[in-house]
Amino acid sequence: MAAMWTFALVRLASILLLGLCLGLLIGPISPWILAAACLYLGWQLLNLYRLDRWLRMRSQMDPPDLGGIWGDIVAQVVRLHRRKQFHKQRLVQLFRELRRSTAALPDGVIILSTQREIVWFNRQAARLLGLKRPIDVGLRIDNLIRSPEFVLYLHGDDFAMPLVIRPPVQLDLYLALQVVPYGGGQSLLLVRDVTRQMRLESMRKDFVANASHELRTPLTVISGYLDTLADDSSIDPAWFGPIKDMRAQAQRMNAIIADLLELSRLESTDGEAPRDAVDVPSMLERLHRDALVSAERPRQVQLDLESTEGLFGAGHELESAFTNLLVNGMKYTPAEGTVRMRWWTDADGAYFSVIDSGIGIPAEHIPRLTERFYRVDAGRSRGQGGSGLGLAIVKHALQRHGGWLDVHSVEGQGSTFTCHFPSQRIWKEAVRAAVGA
Amino acid sequence: METADLTHHISRRFNEDLEKVRNQVLQMGGFVEQQLHKAITALIEGDSRLGESVATDDYKVNGMEVSIDEECSRILAIRSPAAGDLRVIVAIIKTITDLERIGDEGEKIGYIASRLATMERPADKYREVKHLGRQVAQMVHDALDAFARMDSQAAVKTAQQDKMVDEEYESIHRQCITFMMEDPRTIRRALEIMWIVRALERIGDHAKNICEYVIYMVHGKDIRHTSLEDVARQIEAAHALARR
Repeated sequence: MAAMWTFALVRLASILLLGLCLGLLIGPISPWILAAACLYLGWQLLNLYRLDRWLRMRSQMDPPDLGGIWGDIVAQVVRLHRRKQFHKQRLVQLFRELRRSTAALPDGVIILSTQREIVWFNRQAARLLGLKRPIDVGLRIDNLIRSPEFVLYLHGDDFAMPLVIRPPVQLDLYLALQVVPYGGGQSLLLVRDVTRQMRLESMRKDFVANASHELRTPLTVISGYLDTLADDSSIDPAWFGPIKDMRAQAQRMNAIIADLLELSRLESTDGEAPRDAVDVPSMLERLHRDALVSAERPRQVQLDLESTEGLFGAGHELESAFTNLLVNGMKYTPAEGTVRMRWWTDADGAYFSVIDSGIGIPAEHIPRLTERFYRVDAGRSRGQGGSGLGLAIVKHALQRHGGWLDVHSVEGQGSTFTCHFPSQRIWKEAVRAAVGA
Repeated sequence: METADLTHHISRRFNEDLEKVRNQVLQMGGFVEQQLHKAITALIEGDSRLGESVATDDYKVNGMEVSIDEECSRILAIRSPAAGDLRVIVAIIKTITDLERIGDEGEKIGYIASRLATMERPADKYREVKHLGRQVAQMVHDALDAFARMDSQAAVKTAQQDKMVDEEYESIHRQCITFMMEDPRTIRRALEIMWIVRALERIGDHAKNICEYVIYMVHGKDIRHTSLEDVARQIEAAHALARR
């Protein structure tokens, strides 16, 4: 490069020298030098003109052959242009690739602005939600998907779980919508067709409910005859043992069926539990009295009522949840142990705990406890005669009240099961006093 | 300079206000749509509790109408809008009246459905009524979509569907009469069904009204008592002009 510039300078110098020589030979010096300089300037201007013309009409012309520093500049421009072209092509390709892949996604994707306006959506989203391009870009999403549940979900801040709605255009579909917030207040709205899952789910629920119901009648007949046989003194005493076992097992089956029906009822009733006023302290006192008269129980069953407040909810669902926890606690606690029930409230919510000094639960089993028919120790719990559905019922009942179950346990020392209820479910004392309960 | 900023600020606030009230109208529409779906489902599935819940929830629609109405009066009083903005407000005031009426008809259907649930159900499981119900619900949905998108062409198309709804209504009407003549024991049920299809037909009319307000809002044309074919032609011409 330096060589190029030296060459250019040498060329300028030689032209001026030529002018000087001619001036010395033929006549006055300055006009000749001026003429030489003008010649040089003219030549440079010509080059500049050709460069400019080429730059303007680059697409139709080949680069001019200028030589010297001008040629070098042309080469530089060509190189820059090629590099830019290359990058541009790569970006365009990448963009096309991205657009094609999002369009091919089986799920609908909508990009929402901070104001929840539609910025972009893919074909699947358009198909599932009946969006139209380009007229819907810039519209607020809740102007088009007006289902009240969705509007509530969109303006809330809990996007951990997707929301299942029936879309307005195709009523036989179920769609799961989920908002995924990302940088700068924007968000993605994912739309998934979950019709098949929902159908399977409802078939499963129906099957469980129907099967339990159908099993009930034959079982009633069997237990009826077993009861009669047990009281019949004309039977060979050798049969007393087997009949007693059969009665116990029939009772267990009855309990399982009752629990299955309760569970399927909890599952099939949609949405939140009703908000009836439930006097929890007196309910717990009743449960406590019942526990004290039961034959097989640990020596100590205590009740600590630290709050006189109640809950807004479904009374018998709460009762069945509390009973299940208490019965579990008593079942797994040896006769010399204690079971303590505790009811208290604070600013965040209300709590019910069953604390036992029983055998405890190994940590790896805790997350799976609320699954149906899940057994920590198959032999043992069947011996205790549980249905295996108790904690599943508790979980569902709590869910319907916006609450959750918390389990702490140390093996060999005991377990604590705590039900958490949100504060808006609390039936405040002041309110209770006002209605005179 | 300052005044320019101020007016800009005012107009932006105004736009936000307008957008907010439009959004409220559509939320109300969404709730009314849901009520209508629930009412029809209650009838088809014989779910008396669902029907009752529709009837008891109607007060929410009325509440929404009142609050949107107040908001509109406030905007009229404070901003005194003109031209297009004024048309939007006028169209909103009219739209919510029709939405409220749709809500009332939905309440009626829910109430009758809960009563019908205790009666014997016909062999066809109300197939015709279901079909009409879907058609009408779709119409309400399309009308609200046209409102959200300010899409006058879609509004005309939706308004034209009202004719089909009317024909369907006529045919169910005749069918009910035939049933009653064949077997007097069905009279009670057939009369209730006639109330329901009448309500559905009225909902179709209200949806058509909403479409007309959309056209008024977009083009400033009152088309209430002109034939739809003329309107469709005019709007097509306006769009062609806009494209040119």
